[in-house]
Amino acid sequence: MLPAAAVAYFPWEINSGSLQEGESVRTFGRQVLLYYQPEESKATLTTRHASAQHKVIVHTLFVEPFNAIIGAQYMVLGEIENCEGGVVVRARVLNCVDGVNLALFQKAVNQQRSFFRESESKYCSALLC
Amino acid sequence: MRTQVRCPNPMSQEDEPPSTLWGLDPIFSAFARLYIKDLLQIRESCQVPGIFFYNSHPIYKVDVLGTVVCKRERDDFFCYGVDDGTGVINCLCWKNEKWRESGDPPVAPRASAQSEPGLNALAELKKLREAQRRYSQLEIGETLRARGPMKTSRQQREVMASTFYKVNDPVMAEQIAWMMEVPDLYRKCYDKPFQLQANSTSGPTVGRVNRAAQILKDFLKEKTVTKFRPYDVLDLLQPLVCSLSQAKPGDQGPQKDPSAQAIVAGPSAGQQLRQLLKESLQVLQDQGAVYRKVKSQDELYHVTEQDKDLLIAVKDVIREDSKREKYAEKGCHVLHVLSAVRQRYSPNISKEALELVLRTLECNSDVISTTTNHYTMFS
Repeated sequence: MLPAAAVAYFPWEINSGSLQEGESVRTFGRQVLLYYQPEESKATLTTRHASAQHKVIVHTLFVEPFNAIIGAQYMVLGEIENCEGGVVVRARVLNCVDGVNLALFQKAVNQQRSFFRESESKYCSALLC
Repeated sequence: MRTQVRCPNPMSQEDEPPSTLWGLDPIFSAFARLYIKDLLQIRESCQVPGIFFYNSHPIYKVDVLGTVVCKRERDDFFCYGVDDGTGVINCLCWKNEKWRESGDPPVAPRASAQSEPGLNALAELKKLREAQRRYSQLEIGETLRARGPMKTSRQQREVMASTFYKVNDPVMAEQIAWMMEVPDLYRKCYDKPFQLQANSTSGPTVGRVNRAAQILKDFLKEKTVTKFRPYDVLDLLQPLVCSLSQAKPGDQGPQKDPSAQAIVAGPSAGQQLRQLLKESLQVLQDQGAVYRKVKSQDELYHVTEQDKDLLIAVKDVIREDSKREKYAEKGCHVLHVLSAVRQRYSPNISKEALELVLRTLECNSDVISTTTNHYTMFS
């Protein structure tokens, strides 16, 4: 049984409340592993975007043991869980991608999104015709 | 966010093209880099299983790159679930025969090989195999690139990887490049419907000019014409233009007003005829069959093969210069003959015309070619 596709989201979109429980996401950004609580299997990734600090809490039980490098950038694939404390991503994959060109990555995601929007609107207009 | 929900292939209801035409679509023989979401949705051919249609393009082999999100190992293959952010597909990756054999290392030649300080072929081979094993065994979270045909097995699509390897992508450069490239590929190739490029626009006119040139050539040969002016041969091409202008009203159906026809017909028959003659004379000049000795108001064309003076001039050049020490061994080069003939006879002789003359002379055994480009003469 294959898992659902992990769709790319920016870290500031994760906490926006638009994501459903159990939705598969792939998130990234200028994520910095601030602190890691091994006893709780929780890692916090932060990103600065538009002069605001965004936090993504990652549940790391499935990917342990992993080499937690404080200050490194990580890419996480997992499912959204809504807890009382907010949104948690239960990680299936947690990769250290320190050195990634995040500006280029964001550009690539935006290009992909605009391509999908484009083909969707083309399809819809084709249906209307 | 719902933007990732892609609509199904818009052309899915359209009939698939006949299989004889598939090979004409370049995408058919390429590894298509479609999104995995599309690979899972595209319609399978009802004529040949294993062929899929995206936007009426026949897809046979695919190319995927993504994160391994699940993994199963069997005796002779790995099955990796690959996620590219739009979908997840199974990739069936066969274990290499040699890869499995490497488990038992050859013992006997090892001792002797170790004593040698130089290149140790066996050790190198072992290293290669280990590298191969490293690149073909992946863990969850690593990046896989696989290419090969796609098939449906137990109602699930999977890629039968003919080639696959682990992509070493620590800073995601490969994945980012892939993400940037694929939308472009869609816009430039996959989303464009395939149309056969029948030369519908240039075909008939080019064909007509060549036919006209052939008519002129046949006439010049039959009547052994030595020189002519365009108006002498204008009438020969009349039938070509007539058939064209007659065909036109037939296409448009019966018309009551003949004057209206003339207006839609565009350039008049006379203009068309002159244009056709001009173009076909250009073709003959390019071939070297005719040339203009003097470029003046008086449009006089000489027929190259029938121009006795030209033949004599070329023969003279070769005869005289072959005696010179410089050319004694191999004879004269074509370009040397060309420049000499241009000086002595006419500056308008083209290389094609000269080559035609040389062929004629050689057929008559007047000159002899020593190489493809050198001619000499025995006197």
